[in-house]
Amino acid sequence: MQAFLDALTRDFPADFASRDAADLATYGGDWTKVYTPAPSLLVRPRSTDEVSRFLKLASTHGIAVVPSGGRTGLAGGAVAKDGEVVLSLERMRAIAAVDPVALTLHVEAGAITEVVHQAAAQHGLLWPIDFASKGSSMVGGNIATNAGGVRVIRYGLTRQWVLGLTVVTMTGEVMELNGALEKNNTGLDLRQLFIGSEGILGVITEATLKLTRLPDRVDVFLFALDSLQAVLRLFEEARRGPFTIMAYEFFTAACSARLEKHRGLRAPFEQVPSHCVLLEVENAKEGALDPWLGALFEKGLVLDGTLAADTSQARSLWTLREGISESLSATGMPHKNDIALPISKLSVFCDELETLLASRYPGWELCLFGHIGDGNLHVNIMKPEALGKAEFLALTHEVDRDMFALVKKHLGSVSAEHGIGLLKREWLGHTRSEFEIGLMRQVKALLDPKGLLNPGKVL
Amino acid sequence: MPLKILVTAKRVEDYESKIKVNPQGTGIVAEGLKYKINPFDEIGVEEALRLVAKHGGEVVVVSVGTKDVHEQLRHALAMGATRAVWVNHTGPMDQLGVAACLQKIVEKEKPDLCILGKQAIDDEQSQVGSYLSEWLGWSQATFASKEESLESDAEKSKTPAIKLAADGKSITVVREVDGGLQTIESPLPCVATTELRLNQPRYASLPGIMKAKSKPIEEHTPAALGVDMTPKLTVTRMAHPPARKAGIKVPDVAALVEKLKTEAKAI
Repeated sequence: MQAFLDALTRDFPADFASRDAADLATYGGDWTKVYTPAPSLLVRPRSTDEVSRFLKLASTHGIAVVPSGGRTGLAGGAVAKDGEVVLSLERMRAIAAVDPVALTLHVEAGAITEVVHQAAAQHGLLWPIDFASKGSSMVGGNIATNAGGVRVIRYGLTRQWVLGLTVVTMTGEVMELNGALEKNNTGLDLRQLFIGSEGILGVITEATLKLTRLPDRVDVFLFALDSLQAVLRLFEEARRGPFTIMAYEFFTAACSARLEKHRGLRAPFEQVPSHCVLLEVENAKEGALDPWLGALFEKGLVLDGTLAADTSQARSLWTLREGISESLSATGMPHKNDIALPISKLSVFCDELETLLASRYPGWELCLFGHIGDGNLHVNIMKPEALGKAEFLALTHEVDRDMFALVKKHLGSVSAEHGIGLLKREWLGHTRSEFEIGLMRQVKALLDPKGLLNPGKVL
Repeated sequence: MPLKILVTAKRVEDYESKIKVNPQGTGIVAEGLKYKINPFDEIGVEEALRLVAKHGGEVVVVSVGTKDVHEQLRHALAMGATRAVWVNHTGPMDQLGVAACLQKIVEKEKPDLCILGKQAIDDEQSQVGSYLSEWLGWSQATFASKEESLESDAEKSKTPAIKLAADGKSITVVREVDGGLQTIESPLPCVATTELRLNQPRYASLPGIMKAKSKPIEEHTPAALGVDMTPKLTVTRMAHPPARKAGIKVPDVAALVEKLKTEAKAI
């Protein structure tokens, strides 16, 4: 260790590393509040070259390293709890000029997602990865976790919006994967291996992002409904609607109540409905929209609804959805799960889940919300006031086992977009086969033979 | 006693749009702008709807301009206004022209109360309400606000802040004055203008939006109303405020203190 530290002092800038207690506590964790951060050191490189030299040094001395971005993850993928060195990419935040013809943008991994949006928007362009934590999350983390979010239904996952990557392996090898090429059919596409790898295979330091044009006209609706069945039936109608769906999000009354308690906000309906749907659409056909809306009311599918009259109303409606996650944490202790199911199985799954909770854990508050158009549910179970934290965590572990058995039965995923990290490692086998997991281990061993990069995550 | 209330719906640039002055400095660049109802007028529509919800009656919304203003009229109708009046005018106009049109409409409609925004957010002239009350010979309750906060139960239950007397012959209005509130009473008919803190306008419901499409919009022209729209006031120059100098980053606290002493002379 001392030799490692001496080399750090000798070969890197004075402010490269920090052992400040506050720094370690901050940079060692993420939004998963289950683990206690305990890194031994924080390093903040300024270039791919520094990352490479540092990883080579750490590799030589057998030092474990946890790559870290905006630390907004919810599965503990960036948590350093066992004395690892945290490698934060936050100083690498350069954003190059937008190429308005190729529709590309080269950025460093520490660029904040929302800042990338702003840079693209100046050219009428969009990097369509969008979610509530965009103001803190970083591009490198978005790519390493193949982030999802609210526009997956329209644009797909992060994977589809990355042209090239610069990746440094634990041994310090720098790889330029695919540059800025749209087409490059030459052998295995190694770039895809690193997208969604949760930092266990290499450190992403730079990326060439693919952009698209900003939509011309966007309308935001909020609907009041009386059941999850209605939410799913409305989705069927929306699929056939005279527009392109940009987002189809839902949340239950329990979420609305917590949002009102924390933020003082409520949906613009006379009564709080049991279910709300936020539907964002692109290029609605004016003439065809009215009959479509009229039919929803005639069929009794929706109880009420509103359409944002301007940008500020649209943003307020979005806040009703995007403010939920923070409101749950601010008003109680949620146990979070992020699961995906085939759309056709959502309804029966939710029924079975409610039965399960009601029979085994009566009185527990269930806050459901999420990107239901993608089959993605955020299942939040709130800690009952009377229950201690340790007891609650032990019980939620049992709930998870039962719930993931249901997920497995319906061929769903135990982690739709949050990743596996530390939190869901135990359940990976519910969604991936033994053979697949074996292959993953071999790939990991090839790239990181000593197992020093983000140890204990995913596998 | 049912009330007849006349409200306005001026079409203005959405404050979320990026407003740029044209290179000639004569106006703003219209390209890429979004439009909406003047927020002060929208508050007026909301207050009128609350008053008729409590006392009965109808809300008539008026706008002056090209057919584009139908968007703003429909928005007010979607919120719940009963019907709309459109004064069809293309080309330049000033506050005198608009107020003259409104006066003629008021003389036809004979409302008990007119609620206007205290100003429009585009030209910020704040003139129309005053001309209108002057020419009608009515009193004017300016800058109507409310006693309770916008988070209060009164606001949540959509209670009107403008109170109608039991005999239906006068209203009381709470106004914001320097460091406090003032309550005034005015006989009806009168003109009231709205402050931002009067209420939080409702969202138009989808059934409301659909119903609004079949509500009538009555058309008038300035000529038929006998109004000369030739502006007396002309905007001679528009400019952005002088740009602020970009900030700099200092390496450490010592450098900051040094700059505060020598350059900013703040300490």
